Amino acid sequence: MQHVWLYTGILAALIFLVIISLGGGIWGAEQTIGHWTGNLLQGVCHQMPQRSFSVNGVQMAVNTRCFGIFAGLLAGWVMIPFIVRLRAGKNWTLRLLLVTVMLQIADFVGNLIGLWVNTNISRFSLGLLLGFAVSMVISELFKSKNSK
Amino acid sequence: MSDVEIKSEDKFTFANYWPSLVIVGAIFSLISFVVGLFFGYQQINSEPAGSFFSPFMLSSGVICLLTAFAGMVTVWHYTKEISPFLKLGQGAALGFLTGAVITVLSVILSELWVMLFDPEYTEKILQSMIANIEAMDMPSSTREDMIDAMADSMDTQQSFFRQIFWGIPVTGLLNLLTALIGVKVFAKKDEETF
Repeated sequence: MQHVWLYTGILAALIFLVIISLGGGIWGAEQTIGHWTGNLLQGVCHQMPQRSFSVNGVQMAVNTRCFGIFAGLLAGWVMIPFIVRLRAGKNWTLRLLLVTVMLQIADFVGNLIGLWVNTNISRFSLGLLLGFAVSMVISELFKSKNSK
Repeated sequence: MSDVEIKSEDKFTFANYWPSLVIVGAIFSLISFVVGLFFGYQQINSEPAGSFFSPFMLSSGVICLLTAFAGMVTVWHYTKEISPFLKLGQGAALGFLTGAVITVLSVILSELWVMLFDPEYTEKILQSMIANIEAMDMPSSTREDMIDAMADSMDTQQSFFRQIFWGIPVTGLLNLLTALIGVKVFAKKDEETF
C-alpha cells in the first residue's frame, strides 16, 4: 500500500465526520440544531428531524441518507488496506459506483413522483452502499506499484 | 526537450493550482448560488402545501450534490489545462481547496444579494418554510420541533465568518474525496515518490 500518510489523514477525517454526524446527543446536548455538530453539517444536509435517526433521544446532525454515505465511506476506507491486496478485475469499482449512484437517483425520483415511499432504513442502506462504493473507487489509488 | 524545460514541468508550484481552483470554484459557487436563489424564491412564492418536498428542501440536496463534484471537475480541468500528471496528494489538496473556494464565494454572493437586492430574503424564506411545516400532517410536538430547528438553523447561518468557518471543513472533505476519484479517472499515472 502506498500513500499511507494521506490514507491515515483521511481516515481520521472520516472518523471525525461520522462522530459529528451523530449530533449533539453523544455530547449531552438537548438538541443538535444550534450545536457545533449541527453547525458543521448544516451546509451539506437539510437536517430534517423526520428524516434523521436520533442518538440518546436527540436528532442526529445529518439525515439518514447522508449518515449512510458517511458511514459507508468510513467502512470502505477501513477496508482499503485489505482491498488493495485483492487482485480483482479492472474497473469493477467504477461499475459498482455507477450502480449505487443509479440506485440513489431511482430511489429519490421514485419517492418524489409517488411510485413508492422510502424509509429511513432504506435511505440509510442506499447511502451506505454509495459511500462504500466511493471508497472502493479511491482504494485503487493506494495500491502499491508492484501489486498492480 | 532541454533540462530546464524538464525541470520546469516536473516542478509543481502552488500557483499552478489557482487557475483550476478559481475557475471551477467560481463556476460551482455561482451555480449553487443561482440554484439556491431559484428554489428560494420558488419557496417564497409557493402556497404552503404541507409537503416535505418543499423547494428549499430540494435545493439543499441539489446544491450539496452539485458542489460535491466540483473537486472532480477541478482535477479534470487541471489535467486538461496545466498538466496531465497529478499526484494523489496534490489531487487531495486541489479538492479540499476547491471546497474552500466554493464556500467562500457562495457566502459572499449570498451576502451581496441580501445586502444589495433583497434584505428581507432570509426572513421571507423562514416564514414560508414555517407556514409549510404548519400545514404538515403530523403531531404538534414534532411540528414544533421542526419549526424550532428551522428557526435555529437560519439564525446560526447569519454571520458571514461563521458560515465560512462551519462550511469549509465538510465541503472541503467531500470535494477532496471526489477529487481523488478525479485523479483515478483523469490523471495520467506518474512515478510517485512520497
